[in-house]
Amino acid sequence: MKIAVLIKYVPEATAAWRFAGDHALDRDSVDGRLSELDEYAVEQALRLAEAGAATEIGYLTMGPPRAVDAVRKALAMGGDRAVHVLDDALHGTDAAGTSLVLAAALRRMEADLVVCGMASTDAEMAVLPAMVAERLGITAVVNAAALRVEDSTIVAERDTDDATEEVVAPLPALVSVTDRSGEARYPSFKGIVAAKKKPVTTWTLADLGIEPGRVGSAGAATQVLAVRPSPPREAGTVITDEGDAAARLADFLAANKLL
Amino acid sequence: MVLRIVLGLLMTAVAFAVAGRRLAMLYRIGRAAQPVEPGRTRGVPARLRAELTEVLGQRKLLTWTVPGVAHVLAFWGFLVLALTIVEGYGALFQRDFHLPLIGTQPWLGFLEDLFTVATLVSVLVFAAIRVRHSPAREGRRSRFFGSHLDAAWLVLFMIFNVVWSLLLYRGAQINTGNFPYASGAFASEAVARLIHPLGAGANDVIETAGLLLAIGIILLFLVLVVHSKHLHIFTAVANVGFGRRPRALGALLPVYSGGKPVDFEDPGEDDRIGRSSIEDFTWKGMLDFATCTECGRCQSQCPAWNTGKPLSPKTLIMGLRDHALAAAPYLLAEDKSKVDALAAAAAQTPLVGTEGVVHPDVLWSCTTCGACVEQCPVDIEHIDHIVDMRRYQVLMESEFPPEAGVLLRNLEHAGDPWGRGAGARTEWTDGLDFPVRTLDGERIPDDVEYLFWVGCAGAFDDRAQRTSRAVAELLHTAGVEFAVLGSGETCTGDPARRIGNELLFQQLAAQNVQTLNGAGVRRIVATCAHCFNTLANEYPQLGGHYEVLHHTQLLSRLVADGRLVPVTPVGATITYHDPCYLGRHNRVFTPPREILGTLPGTRLAEPQRTRETSFCCGAGGARMWLDETIGTRINETRTDELLAAEPDVVAAACPYCVDMLADGVALRQQQGRTGAHVTVTDVAEVLLRSVREPAANDHRRA
Ligand SMILES: Cc1cc2nc3c(=O)[nH]c(=O)nc-3n(C[C@H](O)[C@H](O)[C@H](O)COP(=O)(O)OP(=O)(O)OC[C@H]3O[C@@H](n4cnc5c(N)ncnc54)[C@H](O)[C@@H]3O)c2cc1C
Ligand code: SF4
Ligand code: SF4
Repeated sequence: MKIAVLIKYVPEATAAWRFAGDHALDRDSVDGRLSELDEYAVEQALRLAEAGAATEIGYLTMGPPRAVDAVRKALAMGGDRAVHVLDDALHGTDAAGTSLVLAAALRRMEADLVVCGMASTDAEMAVLPAMVAERLGITAVVNAAALRVEDSTIVAERDTDDATEEVVAPLPALVSVTDRSGEARYPSFKGIVAAKKKPVTTWTLADLGIEPGRVGSAGAATQVLAVRPSPPREAGTVITDEGDAAARLADFLAANKLL
Repeated sequence: MVLRIVLGLLMTAVAFAVAGRRLAMLYRIGRAAQPVEPGRTRGVPARLRAELTEVLGQRKLLTWTVPGVAHVLAFWGFLVLALTIVEGYGALFQRDFHLPLIGTQPWLGFLEDLFTVATLVSVLVFAAIRVRHSPAREGRRSRFFGSHLDAAWLVLFMIFNVVWSLLLYRGAQINTGNFPYASGAFASEAVARLIHPLGAGANDVIETAGLLLAIGIILLFLVLVVHSKHLHIFTAVANVGFGRRPRALGALLPVYSGGKPVDFEDPGEDDRIGRSSIEDFTWKGMLDFATCTECGRCQSQCPAWNTGKPLSPKTLIMGLRDHALAAAPYLLAEDKSKVDALAAAAAQTPLVGTEGVVHPDVLWSCTTCGACVEQCPVDIEHIDHIVDMRRYQVLMESEFPPEAGVLLRNLEHAGDPWGRGAGARTEWTDGLDFPVRTLDGERIPDDVEYLFWVGCAGAFDDRAQRTSRAVAELLHTAGVEFAVLGSGETCTGDPARRIGNELLFQQLAAQNVQTLNGAGVRRIVATCAHCFNTLANEYPQLGGHYEVLHHTQLLSRLVADGRLVPVTPVGATITYHDPCYLGRHNRVFTPPREILGTLPGTRLAEPQRTRETSFCCGAGGARMWLDETIGTRINETRTDELLAAEPDVVAAACPYCVDMLADGVALRQQQGRTGAHVTVTDVAEVLLRSVREPAANDHRRA
């Protein structure tokens, strides 16, 4: 069984983000990393391979040139190969466009199981799993906390508010995993060295047979009008106990409609 | 006479064969080990000085008075007694043999007897110490806990035998008229008087029998020595000679494989990273293992051992030695299939693992505090071995306590252990009433005297931020121009290196060296003892050469120069805690005490363990970021030691110590075991209180 893992290169959470003139995130100016939530996807795929359920793990990312850093990181954790969809025309692509590209690439990769994160840590839309599965016409199991393969089906556990449900889906399928699925491994130096030798294929839109007009800002269904930094957080109120702390605390909560 | 010669030489031949076989085997183990990194013979004067002070002068042993003096007696006793061995062999061939030139001088006879008696005294003292501090009585507290006790007693018994047999034959020699010394040899003379009444014939027999007995015992002793911890008699000189100078503290060595530094960008195919098995150690490592005397001085000071953790630096080294010996037949065999099963099994035991030679709990308990290295009379380099084993675990196996993952990821992604990121690096300056010059990538202006290295704790930790502000304010008051890197600073890499992630250390350090060199920085002042150590001692390995001061050094200078004038009485008894990485690792003991000593209205109360023997706070070696679940907590133990000096203020000079001790004191206050008034703070903050006018203190206490 072949697994494809979707991985996204996202800006470091602690870095200062900048936006380009067209209001899209300037991904070249900021240090990036493999999305933390996608590390869980990589981990789950590797565990399936270690359990003998998978024979090959390939990664897929769509992103700027530096996205290979995320690819190398994933390959250092394990896995066999990777595909990087890289094309200038992709700048400004929205969720629908991204799913179009990823689905096209996945078709070429011929995976039996697609594993991805529950959401990216930058845009956090959490829509791509469903979108990609829809485009591929395969079952989507989202927000899985545990995963196993049982004779050509995938069994996933999903945590809901009051129960843990077990979902079975036939393969091929797409599964998105949560951050509760199990601590992602820390790549060893051995892994980092080995990753340098693993093949990374670059595909352009032309390779995937996608018209440039269907992606990028031109192909986007939405338009970003303005980007504003969020206002700095105001300092909290400190209540020092002078005998009446409880009353004042209650007043504060009431004034803020929290009581 | 013929009998004497034949028997004497026969015994010698047998003993030399047995001992020689053992020594040859030990030598082959050393040869099979990795080559050592370069520099082990560099700096000959310092090496000779070490031989003089540590071997001949027994400096480290003498820091423990009673056992130290006893060892001096035994050590010098053996040097002098070596002469009697030569005399003994001479007497095999010629009954009245004497050493050439000085061989009949009464003073030499006296000296020999003096040291014979001294050796006897030392044996008695050692025996008393072993009884008094026996593990049976003291349990884990005993420094001999875990040592090979039977072998040690046997050695003492043998030394005792050496002494009496020597005196016996020398006494008989006097009575038969073959003794080289007419006078001086008082002890031999006493024995002679004792056995004189037995008659001439008997004394003749005693002389020969005693001589053969004495030689036999010495030879037996030789065989025993090469098979036991007493091997140190031969190896200690070499171990001290090839040791890291001035000491195996301060900097950690880069990763070497086959004696060459490993290039992490482009590692060689066969590079061995860290130690995965016993053969990965260098011959100097093997020499370390062979030299351990099992004295337990290291163990007695180890914070991990003292708080009930499974790590003892002594048993760690002993374990590695025992393992090397057990695996040796396999490692040295040409045809591995013929090796006996036990040795093969030993060779295949993993070095680190729950079923391995070293348990992971042992490996991860070390705070790299250096107490063991400081204590070890034969200069064993424990920390280097521990970190080398960690390096293999982290770099090659990704095996480490899970909590460390958070630390490593934060360092990697945010450049600091807290995961706050470069953007927040100057938040600590909020509340200062003067601007702090921030380079943010610019070159350092000519009028700036010092780059103030704030450090991650200094930038992000609440308590340490106060220290950063105090130092900034003091420098500002003294008119010292300083600047900070701001967002250009990242973690020095100390925790990454000490947890064994050399790759990450190299990346962080290279980035900082590039920033510092790019900014033209020459002089740095740091508040964190770990940053201080890394910047001063480790960055030169990466091409970063700076004059690095700890803030207590700079501040004490400013006080001495009158640029800072403490005026306001502090009115407190202060107990100063020596941070390991400032004190032991870098020998900065005096400046913080000088600062505290000049403050009006203070009294310094030293804790029991202080300066070189200071006890770790528990945070070093990246332990700050690991859970402490085994035994009692190190910081609480140290807190209690400091509180025993009854201070009002516990002062330290490292943000991690301050944090650890503040937690400890807070806990004891909660438990009602110490007064609510006791505070824990950095030396700089106490100084600032005294430099400020009283009114200013009230105003700005917050
Ligand atoms: C500042 C900013 C403004 C944006 N504005 C818009 C907008 O106006 N309209 C709009 O539709 N979108 C917008 N985007 C979203 C952007 O197009 C998304 O990054 C992209 O569509 C993917 O969505 P997501 O990151 O939310 O993915 P999610 O659905 O949160 O991701 C789920 C999983 O899909 C996989 N995945 C996601 N992206 C990739 C990728 N590139 N390569 C490989 N795998 C991937 C990962 O496994 C991930 O864990 C904006 C993004 C940013 C940062
Ligand atoms: S460095 Fe400190 S904690 Fe580590 S073994 Fe030595 S004494 Fe123990
Ligand atoms: S390592 Fe050094 S201090 Fe520790 S027991 Fe051995 S010789 Fe003594």
